[in-house]
Amino acid sequence: MKKYYLLVGMLLFMYQQCWPQHAEVYAAVLKPVQARPQEKDSGPLKAALTEIERSFQVSIAYKDEWIENKFVYFSSSAFKAPEQALDTLLKDTGLYYEKAGDKFYVIHKKILRGSGVPQSSAAATTPAFSLSRMEDFTSPLVMSFTPQRTIELPLAVTVTGTIRDESGGAFPGVNIVVKGTAVGTTTDTNGKYTLTVDDDNATLVFSFVGYASQEVAVGGRTVIDITMTPDIQSLDEVVVTALGIERTSKSLGYSASKVNSDELTINRTPNLMNSLQGKVAGVNISGLGTGPNGTSKIRIRGQSSISGQNNPLIVVNGVPIDNTNFGTNPGNSASDNSVGVRAGGGNTSDGGDGLSSINPDDVESMTILKGATAAALYGSRAKDGVIMITTKSRGQGKGIGVTYNLNYTNDQPLDFTDYQYEYGQGEQGIRPTTPNPTSGQWSFGEKFQPGMRQVLYNGLDVPYEPVHDRIDKFFRNGENMTNTITLSTNGEKGGLNLSMANMESKGIVPNNTFTRNTINLGFTHDLNDKFSFKGNINYSYEYNKNPPNVANQDNSIPTSLYNLANSMPLEVLDENKYNAQGNEYIYSRFMNRTNPYWTMAEQFQNIRRDRIFGNVAIKYNILPWLFVQGRIGQDYWSRDQDYNNFPTGHASRAAAPPGFVNGVYTQEARRFRELNTDFLISATREFGNFGVNATFGGNHMQRRSDLNSVQVTDFVVRDLYTVQNGRAKDPLYSLTERAVNSLYGSAEISFKKFLYLNGTIRNDWFSTLSAANRSIIYPSVSASYIFTESMGTPPSWLTFGKIRAAYAEVGSDTDVPEYSNVLFYGINSNLVAGQPAGGPNGTTLPNPDLRPMRVSETEVGFDLKMFKGRVGLDVALYEKMTTDQIVQAQISDASGFVDTRINSGKSRNQGIEMLLTLVPIESENFTWEFTFNGAYNKTKVMSLLTDVPGERITVGTHVFNGELRQIVGQEMGQIAGFGYRREFLEDGHYSGRIVYGANGIALRTADLITFGSALPNWVGGFNNAFNFKGITLSFLIDFKLGNTMLSGTNFNAVRHGLHKMTLEGREGGMVGDGVNVNGEVNTAVAPVQSFWEVVRSQALIEPVVYNGGYWKLRQITMGYDFTKFLPDDFPIKQVRLNLVANNVLMLKKWVDNIDPETFGYSSDNLVGMESTGLPSTRSIGFNLNVKF
Amino acid sequence: MKIMKKIFNYRFVVVLLVFSVACDNDFDELNTNKTAATAIDPAFQMNTATLNSSLQALIFEIGIVQQIISPNSGVLTGANYNQDNRATTDDNWQGYYRNVIKNTRDVMALTEELPDRANLRNMARILQAHAFMVLTDSYGDIPYSEGGLGYTEQINFPVYESQEQIYPMIIQELTEATGALDAAGKIETAEILYNGDIAKWKKFGYSLLLRAGMRLSKANQTLAASTVSAAFQGGVIVTNADNAVMKHDQNYQNPIGGTLNSTEAANFYLAAPFVNYLKSTSDPRLSAIAVRYVGAKSGPEQTIANQSYDPALQVGMPMGVDNPGAVKAAADLGLASFYDFSQADRRRLTKLSAQYFFVTAAQTNLLLAEARERGWITTGTVGQYYNAGVTAHMEQLGTVDPLAAVPAASISNYLAANPFDPAKALEQINTQYWVASFLNGPEAFANFRRSGFPALAPNPYPGREVTFISRLTYPNSEISVNTENVNAAIANMGPDKLDTKVWWDK
Repeated sequence: MKKYYLLVGMLLFMYQQCWPQHAEVYAAVLKPVQARPQEKDSGPLKAALTEIERSFQVSIAYKDEWIENKFVYFSSSAFKAPEQALDTLLKDTGLYYEKAGDKFYVIHKKILRGSGVPQSSAAATTPAFSLSRMEDFTSPLVMSFTPQRTIELPLAVTVTGTIRDESGGAFPGVNIVVKGTAVGTTTDTNGKYTLTVDDDNATLVFSFVGYASQEVAVGGRTVIDITMTPDIQSLDEVVVTALGIERTSKSLGYSASKVNSDELTINRTPNLMNSLQGKVAGVNISGLGTGPNGTSKIRIRGQSSISGQNNPLIVVNGVPIDNTNFGTNPGNSASDNSVGVRAGGGNTSDGGDGLSSINPDDVESMTILKGATAAALYGSRAKDGVIMITTKSRGQGKGIGVTYNLNYTNDQPLDFTDYQYEYGQGEQGIRPTTPNPTSGQWSFGEKFQPGMRQVLYNGLDVPYEPVHDRIDKFFRNGENMTNTITLSTNGEKGGLNLSMANMESKGIVPNNTFTRNTINLGFTHDLNDKFSFKGNINYSYEYNKNPPNVANQDNSIPTSLYNLANSMPLEVLDENKYNAQGNEYIYSRFMNRTNPYWTMAEQFQNIRRDRIFGNVAIKYNILPWLFVQGRIGQDYWSRDQDYNNFPTGHASRAAAPPGFVNGVYTQEARRFRELNTDFLISATREFGNFGVNATFGGNHMQRRSDLNSVQVTDFVVRDLYTVQNGRAKDPLYSLTERAVNSLYGSAEISFKKFLYLNGTIRNDWFSTLSAANRSIIYPSVSASYIFTESMGTPPSWLTFGKIRAAYAEVGSDTDVPEYSNVLFYGINSNLVAGQPAGGPNGTTLPNPDLRPMRVSETEVGFDLKMFKGRVGLDVALYEKMTTDQIVQAQISDASGFVDTRINSGKSRNQGIEMLLTLVPIESENFTWEFTFNGAYNKTKVMSLLTDVPGERITVGTHVFNGELRQIVGQEMGQIAGFGYRREFLEDGHYSGRIVYGANGIALRTADLITFGSALPNWVGGFNNAFNFKGITLSFLIDFKLGNTMLSGTNFNAVRHGLHKMTLEGREGGMVGDGVNVNGEVNTAVAPVQSFWEVVRSQALIEPVVYNGGYWKLRQITMGYDFTKFLPDDFPIKQVRLNLVANNVLMLKKWVDNIDPETFGYSSDNLVGMESTGLPSTRSIGFNLNVKF
Repeated sequence: MKIMKKIFNYRFVVVLLVFSVACDNDFDELNTNKTAATAIDPAFQMNTATLNSSLQALIFEIGIVQQIISPNSGVLTGANYNQDNRATTDDNWQGYYRNVIKNTRDVMALTEELPDRANLRNMARILQAHAFMVLTDSYGDIPYSEGGLGYTEQINFPVYESQEQIYPMIIQELTEATGALDAAGKIETAEILYNGDIAKWKKFGYSLLLRAGMRLSKANQTLAASTVSAAFQGGVIVTNADNAVMKHDQNYQNPIGGTLNSTEAANFYLAAPFVNYLKSTSDPRLSAIAVRYVGAKSGPEQTIANQSYDPALQVGMPMGVDNPGAVKAAADLGLASFYDFSQADRRRLTKLSAQYFFVTAAQTNLLLAEARERGWITTGTVGQYYNAGVTAHMEQLGTVDPLAAVPAASISNYLAANPFDPAKALEQINTQYWVASFLNGPEAFANFRRSGFPALAPNPYPGREVTFISRLTYPNSEISVNTENVNAAIANMGPDKLDTKVWWDK
């Protein structure tokens, strides 16, 4: 009775805010309901087994962890034989038994042979799923299995030994057979066996369902110890799908990729997703070149909508968490729900994202739901896929477990610059011979000759000689160290997992550090046989100190450093950063190219975030086939940020009025809270050949976010950066709230375990939309057909075969900001000429009639396992239409506004994903596994305001020249800018020859032209994993291909005379290869500096547009498990050590001077608009995992 | 049966949950912004419009009239190379439509039903007419009747009207609005241009009307004459105390001052034609305007210690040089570097807090001089208006910064040495208008095109795209999204090029 009240009360509490007026209904529900009769003899399964052993004088072997937490209603007196008792006892437990000898029974777990979902690489050493998950698997399948009999034979050699499982524990019930005979035995509860063979040369075969069989020649030995390893290929995985519903992967009609937690923990990156680069088919992950806490940009199946943040939804333990992006996006002019920084403060650093709060060590498993069908139950926010993370909630094995993990990597900055070092600092072919002019950012000087001198900006006379290795000299090696201690318990009633972790990162910019402390508590508890609850709480404190300003023309260390004149000694810049007044010593006539050493000394930024997220779920099994669950989850963070990105004395800033010093200081505090409450009712039943699973649920999401910000300009007291000390103060407060209510249901019908049909339906109500447009219903259907199970006897080479098909629709309001239906007005912080001034906020015309956008996706695929699992192929084809997109549609400026949001955009993603796994070699001592994953995606803009081909909008502008456009009829993300004007022939064609003006300088096209899409078509990777006698080695090669980029780094390198292409014409000027305006061969001589400066002076970007693709040796991991060397009674139970290397080698790239991945912007509105970010790094380190 | 009972009991829970999730009664309240207003006093919007009527026109207009020029490229490309740079040509368009007309249209809509705010409404009409005049003078055909009505009338893609149609409408608007200003009505003291002073507003309105009328001196003399006459009768600004001025401060800085006092401080120089003209007449304004950092070899050497106001030392940068050209020109002239050329003094007239002059007594007096010369007004003499105009401008400089003040004796000396010559009336008047409109790029550019004075030589830059810039090109955004309407305008007016002449310039 009490539990009824508890459940109902909890659910009522969750919803009463929304429905307070119906108190009478509470009363009705709270009326005592009739008590359910108590069943008798309920007790732990383990106790029941012990009772059978005692009653029937038999031995029963089992792994403890399979038995724990299972409860049965049982009395042995009701049975005549042990088989009968076990049959009854193990029903519905997911276990079955096998009579392995006289009075000896072994309990096995029911494991399904057959398929696997797309599996990440390097998984061979660990199980692809957690065993504890399997316990929850409640629809056992019929297995065919032939028990081995023990046959007594005359003694010859007696072999004994101990069999261990992959974690070093005793492994009972392993079959041991003398090859070619029927002679065999099984291991006992301690994993020990004794077997008599009559031939020294016999070979023993060790086998266990779900584990790789091993053949070992006796070779005269009397003791043979074996460690069994799970056989990935033979397992039928359980996949956590939307809402945390677990399904066997073979029943899925869509693509879902499971990621082994080892992929995240062993070869790790500070932001956990970056370690998956190149590993999951169809998932494009880019780590940005912005520092250790940088944003991880994830795009699944390409960019779908014409907005900046096509981010997947992040779900932790079934509840979404916030992944707000604080990346830098200057020039972003279209719809984007990333959080920008306020103008005027000069901040272009990347403030990170929500994923960076997660410690990889806490992740138990991760599933990536790629298509709309997979994500349909998550609704609006899942239109770009879902990353589902399950964190650890209890220990493995029995009792208390302690795990210590140490991870260390050292990050070496990589220098891809290939600059010219023949001509040094200076302009117009002249080297500096007096302190001024200050050419510090130009390398159009004289040819280096021995004995030449130059005079630097501070009057210092030094040799005129090249200064190499600027990257190595300025940056330091970064370091990341993570210490994690995990305490876990696991008992009959439940367990918990508590971890504490500290990560210390040193960025490559010498004053940039990032600290993250996390505490994660997961717990699960069964109050009784029906009532259970589980939950998790994650607290993190993150402190990002001095994230560098990147990817901008002004005030950015990388831009200044990469363009420094090639004969400027760095130590001089360091030692002479201050002038006599204590201000920045001007070393370049480009005053916005702030001396990087001055920046480091004077500029600071602190970002501190406290975050707590988690959820608690209560589950009640009403009937064996019916449960109801209620859950409440919250993500709360507060984030304090302050920075003085224009410190006092910054050369590019105007002087302050008399009595003040100049500078700008900004201080901000943000708070964010998202509350999700949901319920779920789920039923699973079987009717003959048919199985039915039906789920119904609802969710209420409410989010509140606010910001206090003050920006002050000029100060009274020098070097005191506080709001009070500021002259002009500009305060700002903003508050946004939004909510989504949802109801959803799903049903699955299976037939004979080879045909599965699945349907879902969901209704969302969005607070951001008007009442008329608020509600949207969308369905999904999918089917899976395992033809190998229906065709009787498939060919022997075909182990498993499945085809699948799915269609889904999803609606979304994600691109509708709160309050976008009404025009709001603001008042300026400071009086204008003594009076208030104000006006409409923003430049976007409100639209009260927005509807949710719709995504519809069709997917077909197949999954084949061949040659006993040594060949696997999983292929998916999809077409995704995104219609009614909320386009931040540019309108005429002459309307007074810049844009308005309308439902009109349409785009189409088409693609194919494949995963090929091969095991070319598999022998006792050596295995080689090869995995290829690849995805091709093409996204085409079908309509904007209209569907007229060529219609376009500009979504972002490069900080120098060029822009990103969406153009109807073309691939999404077109890079546009001026190109070279080509000779136009009388026959109406272009000859291809460049046209030069009378001054010898190239002329440009009449209008901007497009150079191609900045979005990659091909993303994927090859992995090779080797295991030689327990030493594992794997390496991953990944690629992104088919994308165009506009390189701002090369743009500057060309105009400043660092790029090697500018060597041409240094002596006597440049005569461009082409024609003049009259069609005659060009003979006009242009000054070399002016000739190459066209990228700036003419905004002619063609010379710096590149193929942005690459091939990289992404990861190398080498590992060994030392557990076998540990004595049995040693307190340490397991030791694993891995040596790791990340971003190891650039195999092929097309862009000059940079790694094409050193990209600074998180928004899709600026994709391909490269501007100098931090150099990429090669990290080398180790991961040590110790279990006590 | 037992099962049925259980299900029955749980039904309550399910029903409850379904209802509670589906309810969205509070969504409208949730989606109401609690921290922003849905309306503010229109006077404050009027102030925003006034504030944003100041322009930074260094890259094109002030360069086209050869007063200030930069040798450098990139964002600074424009009149220095006679090259289209659509990142800059759209500045006036965006600045006025987005920040001025958006607000004035809203003020007009909000005050339409408020009789007691009629004065504010008419002020908004006058300020808006000023913005439209600058826009059509800059680009030619523009959206006028439908311009700025995105919010109030949901016109997202306004049609363009020809300048020939627009000017009569501007004249009518100014006539009506100025005439309707009523000193007996509510005095809008919160308004920053004149603190609601109706008499001054009337002078401002009629001065704009005078300017509009004079603009048509080539294109439609009949309308020009009647407009000028009406404006003059209404009463125009003839003393500096009545100037229409945006008063800047450290928080709301002069846009030209902002540019010349930060990263571009060492990138702009006084152009040789302007310096040479002032030198040729021993104009005392040269030392008020110019500064030369004698011997500077770089921006950092442009220090107070090196500065000189001595008119004899001032050297203007020749037109048509790029960076290497400027280096060479400086060497040829015996300067230390191109940083050694004269600049508009960023510590005086182009300081951060410098006023921006929309309409001045100097300009109005000079227009009256021409009007008198043409016989469109009949009182006073040309010479009187001319002398008053020159004097007013010289006196105006000291109101910006005391260190730029021109002594009264210097003014009279100048007028004595350079007396008005009726034989060269139009040339003298409009050349003085050119000087008097220094730092008001659009007005200097418009009057130069209209009058043809001073006779500036074409920019000799070898890579120039056009010989002379006669208008600014339309924004890329218009070509992208308002294609049909802008193409209609181009078909009417001529190609969207820098050298296409606007209607009143033909």
